[in-house]
Amino acid sequence: MIANIKKYKELMYFLVHKELRIRYRNSLFGFFWTLLEPLGLMLIYTLVFGYIIQLDKGVSPYPLYVLAGLIPWTFFNNSVRKGTRALSGNASLIKKVYFPREIFPLTMLISNMVNFIPAFALILVLAVVLGHPMQWSELILLPLVILLQALFTLGVALLVSILNVYYRDVEFIINLVMRAWMYMCPIIYPIHMLTGAEVSSTVKDFAGLYFLNPMAVIISLYHQPFFPDQGPEIKYVIYTVILTVVLFLGAWYLFRRMNRRVGEVI
Amino acid sequence: MEAIVVNNLTKHFRKAYDKTLKGFFISLVKGEKRHQEFTALNNVSFQVKKGESYAIIGKNGAGKSTLFKVLSGIIYPDSGTVNVHGKVAPLIELGAGLSRDLTGAENIRLNCAIFGLDKKTIEEVYPKIVEFSELEEFIHTPVKFYSSGMKARLGFSIAIHIDADIILIDEVLAVGDKDFKKKCYAKMNELRDSGKTIVIVSHSMKPLRDICDRALILDKGKVVEVGEINEMIDKYQSDKKTKKKKKQKGA
Ligand SMILES: Nc1ncnc2c1ncn2[C@@H]1O[C@H](COP(=O)(O)OP(=O)(O)O)[C@@H](O)[C@H]1O
Ligand SMILES: [Mg+2]
Repeated sequence: MIANIKKYKELMYFLVHKELRIRYRNSLFGFFWTLLEPLGLMLIYTLVFGYIIQLDKGVSPYPLYVLAGLIPWTFFNNSVRKGTRALSGNASLIKKVYFPREIFPLTMLISNMVNFIPAFALILVLAVVLGHPMQWSELILLPLVILLQALFTLGVALLVSILNVYYRDVEFIINLVMRAWMYMCPIIYPIHMLTGAEVSSTVKDFAGLYFLNPMAVIISLYHQPFFPDQGPEIKYVIYTVILTVVLFLGAWYLFRRMNRRVGEVI
Repeated sequence: MEAIVVNNLTKHFRKAYDKTLKGFFISLVKGEKRHQEFTALNNVSFQVKKGESYAIIGKNGAGKSTLFKVLSGIIYPDSGTVNVHGKVAPLIELGAGLSRDLTGAENIRLNCAIFGLDKKTIEEVYPKIVEFSELEEFIHTPVKFYSSGMKARLGFSIAIHIDADIILIDEVLAVGDKDFKKKCYAKMNELRDSGKTIVIVSHSMKPLRDICDRALILDKGKVVEVGEINEMIDKYQSDKKTKKKKKQKGA
């Protein structure tokens, strides 16, 4: 893979550039759209889930909590949704020329990452504006969290991109799954909601399984520098790292195997 | 020195199947095979020498495009070996490697990058490609608005400028206009004389006699015969005629 990346540097640059340009070419706000979208969602969620449904107990300021989870989630969500079509959307090329097909999911991830970084800075800006204290020791570890998330996301993207070539309904299933997955992550509610007194007993029974969802762990890691009591236990972090590596290797293996017939079934 | 060596190449296709999970589960429950196998290439062996011009002739569905796809690595053979020495520029069927939503200019850069050219070289060959294709006016138009002839122009111009050692040309010139075809045939002669290996699939036999040294006749995935170009074309055409006669007699 590394050798391929070197050889196809120019191609990857082209594809990332193209992806970014297409995304911003037709929109009035251009690049600021990346920032406006999560800010807009933050406002909506704060109104609906903070004021009306009142999920904001124990995390203050709630808008910061929402934004700190929403931005990494958006990165994941966009990458997986776009990832589903990373191969099937490029059928005209794949049928006619050969180059390593993993380049498509990979460049898709990179271009989403390019969008993610400035949006991520927005969390810091909001924290500063609100005068919210930050844990610097944990803040400097965030690049590692981003790396972990990127690897996990790439694993999922490799998997869904190749599966969607063989079974086109993967795309529709993924749309539904991503919606459910979002509610399984601590984005609009703080994690102690799951174990709080007012929660039904079924939820409490399953609360122990909550952090088996790697994205819940990753999102919590993003919360941690701002809301120290919202971080995951270390055992879950280790679990997520191991799971990510296993998922990535498994996805890579499957991608390689299924790649053999991509040129004819796509 | 051989540029292409193919030994006992066989390729099966699975006939089109229900590309949904529903289809998958239904056949899983019924316990039936999900696809019929179809042999597109059957024990194909041949060699192309370096610097040679080689024609592959055969009817529609004979497996010519499939063979090119295997040679360029787009699809994998089921058995047999394929050895290709040198960089391959494939021009397979209409719209060869062009991305519909990109403009002509973007497609040039994309394809150059796919074939491993670096930035500097791309900037160098870009004007040459545009010039050869004679598409200056439309170069910033998305390719989806191109006619098939224009796509053929663009594809051919790219393929001959990326400094490949082996060029595979699959029927792309069938849609070009007369002048452009002439220009392309002249270019192919020039490329052959400069030592490039060219493999051509075409249904217009006249230019093949001009350009090619040898030919392979492919029928229903099998090699019928390999030999000198004129001999092969005569044989192919007389085969066709006798078959027609037989049919007429039968009727
Ligand atoms: N991706 C594919 N999946 C299934 N069958 C295919 C595929 N590509 C080609 N075929 C079949 O293989 C046969 C040979 O096709 P092709 O190589 O395109 O013929 P041609 O000699 O006209 O270029 C045809 O019968 C075609 O239907
Ligand atoms: Mg064909």
